[in-house]
Amino acid sequence: MFSKGNIVTYVIAFLFILALNFFLPRMMPGDPLMAIYGDEALIAMTPELKAELVERFALDQPLWQQLGAYFVTLFQGELGHSYYYNAPVLPVILGRLPWTLLLVGSSLVLSTILGIVLGIESGWRRGSKTDRSMLAGLMSLNGFPDFFLGMLLLIAFGVTLGIFPLAGALTPYSGLSGLALLLDILRHLFLPVAALTLAHLAGGYLLTRNTMITVLKEPYMLTAKAKGLSQRALKYRHAGRNSMLPVVTQTGIWIGRVVTGALFVELVFAYPGVGYLTYEALLARDYPIIQGVFLMVAVSVLVINFLIDLSYPKLDPRVSYAY
Amino acid sequence: MHIDLKKEIKESGPGKIGIIILLLMIAVALLAPVLARYDPYQQSTASLLSPSWNHWLGTNHVGQDVWSRLVFGARTSLLVGFGVGILSTLLGTIFGVSAAMLGGLYEKVVMRIVDAFIVIPMVIIVILISAYIRPSILTLILLLSLLSWQGGARIMRAQALSLKERGHVAAARSFGAHHFYIAWRHIVPDLGPILLVDFIYSVRRAVFMEAGLAFLGITDPTVVSWGMMMRDALSFSYLNVWQWWLVPTGVALSLTIIGLTFVGHAAEPVIEPRLRGAEVA
Repeated sequence: MFSKGNIVTYVIAFLFILALNFFLPRMMPGDPLMAIYGDEALIAMTPELKAELVERFALDQPLWQQLGAYFVTLFQGELGHSYYYNAPVLPVILGRLPWTLLLVGSSLVLSTILGIVLGIESGWRRGSKTDRSMLAGLMSLNGFPDFFLGMLLLIAFGVTLGIFPLAGALTPYSGLSGLALLLDILRHLFLPVAALTLAHLAGGYLLTRNTMITVLKEPYMLTAKAKGLSQRALKYRHAGRNSMLPVVTQTGIWIGRVVTGALFVELVFAYPGVGYLTYEALLARDYPIIQGVFLMVAVSVLVINFLIDLSYPKLDPRVSYAY
Repeated sequence: MHIDLKKEIKESGPGKIGIIILLLMIAVALLAPVLARYDPYQQSTASLLSPSWNHWLGTNHVGQDVWSRLVFGARTSLLVGFGVGILSTLLGTIFGVSAAMLGGLYEKVVMRIVDAFIVIPMVIIVILISAYIRPSILTLILLLSLLSWQGGARIMRAQALSLKERGHVAAARSFGAHHFYIAWRHIVPDLGPILLVDFIYSVRRAVFMEAGLAFLGITDPTVVSWGMMMRDALSFSYLNVWQWWLVPTGVALSLTIIGLTFVGHAAEPVIEPRLRGAEVA
């Protein structure tokens, strides 16, 4: 069953994230307000706004009182104030979130399914020519950073062939609606999703293939074969399903990777999601936004990992005996 | 450990290719001053030139020679990669082996920290910290090492736990050998192949991360790096300069990572012996 120890792990991870979020700006030399908001923002700030921020985050108080104020504001869902957007951080991030969810979600589904299927096929034929070329090909693909793949796709299909749009998620001011709007969104989505899917295909593939190879040596595979089951049933129902388990455990770590991968891909395609927002914030030194994105991404990945840990014994009852 | 790592890599086709790629990249990095034809930082008015005899890969937007920057960029990538590889493997071994040897509360605490770090997405932490401190190469090596030894420590601990129970270690203990002596003389030498696999994957991760951070523009802007070159080239993707500016840089970076992946994968049966015989290449 789910062990108490795992909860401790997640609590430690969560506290570490909060600690980074709280201490990092306050450890920087100089005025904490400057470290939190960046010097440009500080120069342009009105004294009233400055005073209000100092008061809200208790910046003129000792550290432990700041910590108290930090938790109070955090649990009010207050992630800080972006001077660049002149708005609270949370709505700014939430406004960009749907695009990233769309991008990450589609890439995750596509790369997982493709990775598993390719892994099953490749592992089934292990040692053969098909297997070896698939392995070498996908491992090479794995070596291409997602932003480089994105740039290659952008130049090939966007700039040179002109089939797909170069940037953004929508045609601005097009006034499209209904089906035309949907097609427009899909057209903009295609290249970023392709880049992200290709870059993260190898993970699931390698894992499935490796497990497939060990699963094929299990005695129950021999039994299934002796029963006279068809190739397809052997490959997918018996070997394939058992080879998917490690992929499920890795999904959490994976989602973390695809989300950060999306950051780079969004930059290449100027896709207006959270990743592009982060990039703009890095350029403008808009620290509250960077911190807000950090907190949201890190905590979401933790929560997903936690849920997967919880569900794993249900997927593979053998795990429960291990505790 | 009765698996011969050298044999394992030599017998795998991709393993051999990986070794060749890596040796080539190391040679380029070492010979950079000889191979480069210009100072990689020297700006000139001759910007965005096409390739010619004088500028093999043309020049960039501020008139720097792309070829010279490419070969010096290999130094940055490999320095960060190998620096992090050595340091994080060292940290992983120290914490993994000591946890296995000492056990008790110490082991529990170390393993909790290891597990916690494994579930946190590392890239986003590195980006956050880099956004504040804009790390120099040395700081970046330290930062990446501190955040990436945990996976190795887990594998090292598992292996050390099984080695600890072997006959020769029990014999050493019966002669009154210290924990430290046993760890150093009997456990660490037998970890050899696993250390190498962990090292290679740490290098790979670090090369990836360095390029990514430079691409985002949050590393030391005064040091030439492949990620930074690609970031510069992205702004000119509408011109034909990508052919000699972006593509060779991206290919150099990808080749380095592919080389590391191939070697790492060929050596992987060391960690998971059940995979042996999977590639009869």
